[in-house]
Amino acid sequence: MNKALKYIVGLLALFTAQSLMADERPQIVAVNYPLAYFAERLIGDDADINFPVPQDVDPSFWRPGIADISAAQAADLILLNGASFATWIDRVSLPRSRLVNTSSALTDAFIQTESITHSHGDGGEHSHEGVASYLWLDPTLAKGQAEAIAAAIARRDLAPANDIYARLERLGVELDALDSATRDSLAPLSDTAMIATHPRYQYFARRNGLTIASLEWDAGAAPTKEELADLTSLMTETDARILIWEAEPPQAALQATQELGLVNVVFPTMVHAPSDLDYLDSFEASVTDLIEAAGQISTN
Amino acid sequence: MIYRLCLAAVLAAAPSWAAAHQLVVFASVDCSAVTVEAKFSNGRIAQQGDIRILDADNALLQTLSLTETGTAIVPLEGIDTSAGLVVEVDTGSHENYWIVTPEDIARNCGS
Repeated sequence: MNKALKYIVGLLALFTAQSLMADERPQIVAVNYPLAYFAERLIGDDADINFPVPQDVDPSFWRPGIADISAAQAADLILLNGASFATWIDRVSLPRSRLVNTSSALTDAFIQTESITHSHGDGGEHSHEGVASYLWLDPTLAKGQAEAIAAAIARRDLAPANDIYARLERLGVELDALDSATRDSLAPLSDTAMIATHPRYQYFARRNGLTIASLEWDAGAAPTKEELADLTSLMTETDARILIWEAEPPQAALQATQELGLVNVVFPTMVHAPSDLDYLDSFEASVTDLIEAAGQISTN
Repeated sequence: MIYRLCLAAVLAAAPSWAAAHQLVVFASVDCSAVTVEAKFSNGRIAQQGDIRILDADNALLQTLSLTETGTAIVPLEGIDTSAGLVVEVDTGSHENYWIVTPEDIARNCGS
């Protein structure tokens, strides 16, 4: 075998080995962005983290394709939020040994919600009865979810346990700092009533002593006349002057609510990855926006 | 007046009643058939309803009806299951689905 041929064979062998190694990386599927973020912080580059829900679909009511479920069935870990989040998990067969309910130790902290049936998008009619799902909007609960993920990664030996727990400690410190800063910043707003366009902020409100009433508007959509009438009634009832949107609505919607005397704040729930920011930075930015909105009220 | 109050109470309760009854669909598969089961979340059997079998591209492969036991057996003969199946059940007032992957079929077919 001449030198050139040996070189080519060597390169091919290296390429094949790398491909095999890439295929052998642990696969982790998460049902929302915060869980994917926590997993990424905990396992780093030692695994592929997959959050398969398209950006324009509500992950709570996503209807997966068959290939999505095949991928989940083949994953090393499937990170569930619990608290009635992601209805699709009850419509497929998933390997129990690889399912991780990240809130199973947090059930005492769950918030029961009212029963309201409605529909939006192509997810069909659904209701918000049962349990509030957006646990990660309380950093102390988010920390509990991260701890569950770390334990599952270590238990399945997907990465060295020492590394996982060292990263968990760092993440925990950052979540504690976020929680502490948020509580301090929002403490003066305890008497400031707010309205959210969708019931997403229950845990955030409770943790920070806020009062946030909720409507049932579609995320990012312009409200109808009837919905604006509902908003006006709720404003009268609660005396709220701040309106929280989970996604940026059309400009006309912002203008309409502003004309009612409201200050608008877009507070992404981070169920999908926020554009340009990660979980911690997006959370912090939203808190800053809330404080600025309250400042606008007091100067008006 | 009392009638109106009663009617108002019933109407007010209606949304939570409707929300409390969801259709639960389950499908198991072996080499020759898919067995579909449908019941409501309160335990009541769904005795009537249409079952639609779709492929991975959501193309309709077959339709059939639920029996009064809330079940149906879908023979797989002549159906291409290589990319999996989606089983939809529609009772008229409620609908839900179950996804059967190629791996589910292979696992339950002794592969």
